[in-house]
Formats: sequence, structure tokens, C-alpha cells
Amino acid sequence: MRRTLADIALSVLVLLVHTVLGKFLVVGEISPDLPLIWVVYLAIRRGQIAGTIAGFLFGLVLDALGASEGMIGLAALSKTLAGFIAGYFYNENKTLQTLGGYQFIVILAIASAVHNLCYFLIFLQGTTMSLGTVAFRYGLPTTLYTTAVGLIPMFGFSRSSQVHG
Amino acid sequence: MIKRLYDIVLQFREYALLAILLALSIALLAFNDTRQLRSIRSTTVSTVGFLQDVFNVIPNYLRLSHENQVLRDLNVSLSDEVSRLREAKLENLRLRGMLELKEKGAFRYRGATVVGKTLQMMRNTITLDAGDNDGVRINMPLVTEQGLVGKILFCSPTYSVGQILFNKDIRVSAKVQRSRVDGIIRWDGGRTLAMYNVAKTLDVRPGDAVITSDYSSIFPPGIRIGTVAEAREVTGSLFQTIAIEPSVDFATLEEAFIVLVAPDSNRVVLDRRVRDYAGPQ
Repeated sequence: MRRTLADIALSVLVLLVHTVLGKFLVVGEISPDLPLIWVVYLAIRRGQIAGTIAGFLFGLVLDALGASEGMIGLAALSKTLAGFIAGYFYNENKTLQTLGGYQFIVILAIASAVHNLCYFLIFLQGTTMSLGTVAFRYGLPTTLYTTAVGLIPMFGFSRSSQVHG
Repeated sequence: MIKRLYDIVLQFREYALLAILLALSIALLAFNDTRQLRSIRSTTVSTVGFLQDVFNVIPNYLRLSHENQVLRDLNVSLSDEVSRLREAKLENLRLRGMLELKEKGAFRYRGATVVGKTLQMMRNTITLDAGDNDGVRINMPLVTEQGLVGKILFCSPTYSVGQILFNKDIRVSAKVQRSRVDGIIRWDGGRTLAMYNVAKTLDVRPGDAVITSDYSSIFPPGIRIGTVAEAREVTGSLFQTIAIEPSVDFATLEEAFIVLVAPDSNRVVLDRRVRDYAGPQ
């Protein structure tokens, strides 16, 4: 129960950081997806169901905050998918190793790629942009940026796992 | 059964949850009305339409039997309707022609429907649904827009019988319209009428129109009788043999006009006196 409450509190904190400080991390048109990093973390730490639900709820809140510019349900859809995919790699006995190793970055990259593909494909419908343009102009840079930012918690967990032996 | 279903859901709970949450997200998306979603809806409709077109090629045998039955019923119904419309069109054409005749003619006419007809005997007649009560009298001429039909032979209060040109007892004074040559029309059997009393020297050619002449006390002049089909000389005779193709098609005759004209009594009396004076030849 305490663990769940702690997760909820941290989730709120992540949302606050993303909405308040997220604008300082924008490079060109690209910004890292901090909630997605948190969803992937939850999926690896708590399992596939937790990851899927967290993805949906985070997405829903972000939609409500206007992240999808009026397309309520888009962030929920893409983050649900990302949480579900990240949850595939859940291993109860190796959560810290996964979080502190390169696996976390690989999982984050895969989840982010799927998330961005789904999100931008729908978000940019009705424009004249081709699939390639969508992927290379928005999908790939956002995935790379999010994955790069994901290195920070990875290093944190790496050190934490070393400290705890 | 329910327990088994529950077990299956429990076994695949991650997928069930994913399906539920994705469905919820899509439902939320569907409530929006943004440009992107309109575009997606349009693409979806096009794709679904295309797929339906593709799958329509595969016949649905279960429905074919029912569809065939429906089409057969429709076919019968439409055939019946076409037949009735065709009949109405023909009737319309006939009536238009008759109306035109009625408007152009100098006489009063009474339209009547042919309710009985004989064509296979030597004294052929038609029965009309108009009689004494309608002003019809014996010897009144019968016409259609095509030409002369015959004359009234008998009358009852509501019906009358007409003697048509294909009747061996009828005689009509006629003339060739082009050359004004006179003669007498009668029928001797066969498919054509014959024109008698036309001398060999007179000008009659195939194709000439034949009309009623002024010499008849029954038929008004100028009514078309038919066309000369053949005019030939017979060796040893002073007269030509002339075959006339009647302008009225008696086989298809369905309506006729009775010309409400009574013969001039003075003229009839005079003609009778002349015949009496001449005596039997």
C-alpha cells in the first residue's frame, strides 16, 4: 500500500516537473517525454498491468492538460501501448538490474518508438506529410531525446544497485 | 461456462486490460471532432468501402436463392406493367388519331368500341356499343382515322351492327383521287377489295388513293377507302381488274366512329324513282 502511494506521489511529481519545467528542455520542436520514462519505469518495476494502467492514466491526464491539442484520448492510447510493451520486459527478480543496465535504455527506446509512431501518425493526419517525414522529423528525434534523458535515471539505478550490492 | 470464461480472461488479463484501455482511448478520440480525426474517418470509410467492393465479388450463395425469387417476382410485375403501358400507349395513339378526325371532320361523330367482330365469313360484320339511344341509325357510315369501315346494318337501343367493307353485300361508290376515275367498290373474298366498272382506257395506277365519291347517298365524299394494289387488263373484257388494299386494318380494329349523317331523303326518293324507271336490266 505504501509502495502504491509512493508511486502515485512520484507520478504527480513527474507530471508537475513535465508541465512546469518541460518547456526548458525543448530543443527546436522536440521535447523529451518525461511521463513516458516514468511509465516505462513503472512497467519494469511493477509489471505489465501496472505499466498499462499507468500509461493510460498518465496519457489521460496529459490529454486533459492539452498535450494533444484537443485530441482527447490520443496520449492515453499511445502511452497505454507503450506501458504494455515495456511491461513485456518485466522480471520480478531482476528489476534493479534492468533499470540500472542498458536494458532500460533499449526498452525505453522501443516503447518510445512505438509511442511516437502511434502518436504522430494520428496527430499529423490530414497534413501533407509522408510517413517518412513524420518518422524522421518528429518520431525519431523525440525517441532519441527521450532515450537520452532516460540515461539519467539509468545511471541513478546503476549506482543504487552497486551501493546495495 | 462463466467460470471457464473467467479463467480465460484471467489467463490473458494483460491483453484484456490492454484491449479495454485501448477501446476507451479510441472511444474518447471518437468524441473529438478535429481535422485529424475527420481525415482518419474519411480514410476509414474509403478503406471499408474498398474492402466491401472487393468482397462483393464473392457471391453469397445463401442469399442468391432469395434474391432470384425476388427478381423473378419483380420481373413478372414489371412485365405486366410494361404490357399495360404498351397497351395504354397504343390506345392513346389510336384515340389521338380519332380525336384528330373528329376535330377535322365536317360531320358529327359518335365514338364506339367494337365489342364483336367476324372476319372469316362472306358477310362480315362488327358489333358496336352504341345504338338507337345514341342517335345511331341504319345506313350511317362507319369510319376510323384510317378511312372507311362500312355502314350500320342493324340497330338496337344500345348496340348496333356494322357491315364492313369485307362483306359481299356492300357496295361503295368510289373514285381514284388522282385521276378522278369513278367505279364501284365491292368484295369478292380474299384480302383485297375490287373496283368495278373502270374502263381499260382510264388512268389507274398502283399506289393511287381511292376515296368515296359524290355519287353515294350513304357515304359522304372524300373518305379514304384504300390504295390501288394492282390494275390489270383482262383479255376479252372492256374493263380493268383493280385490286384495292383497304386503308383500315380490320384485324386490329377496336374503335370506330359512326358518322351521324342521315341520307338526304329527297335524293333517296329521286334515286329510287330513277331505278324504278329504268326497271330490271
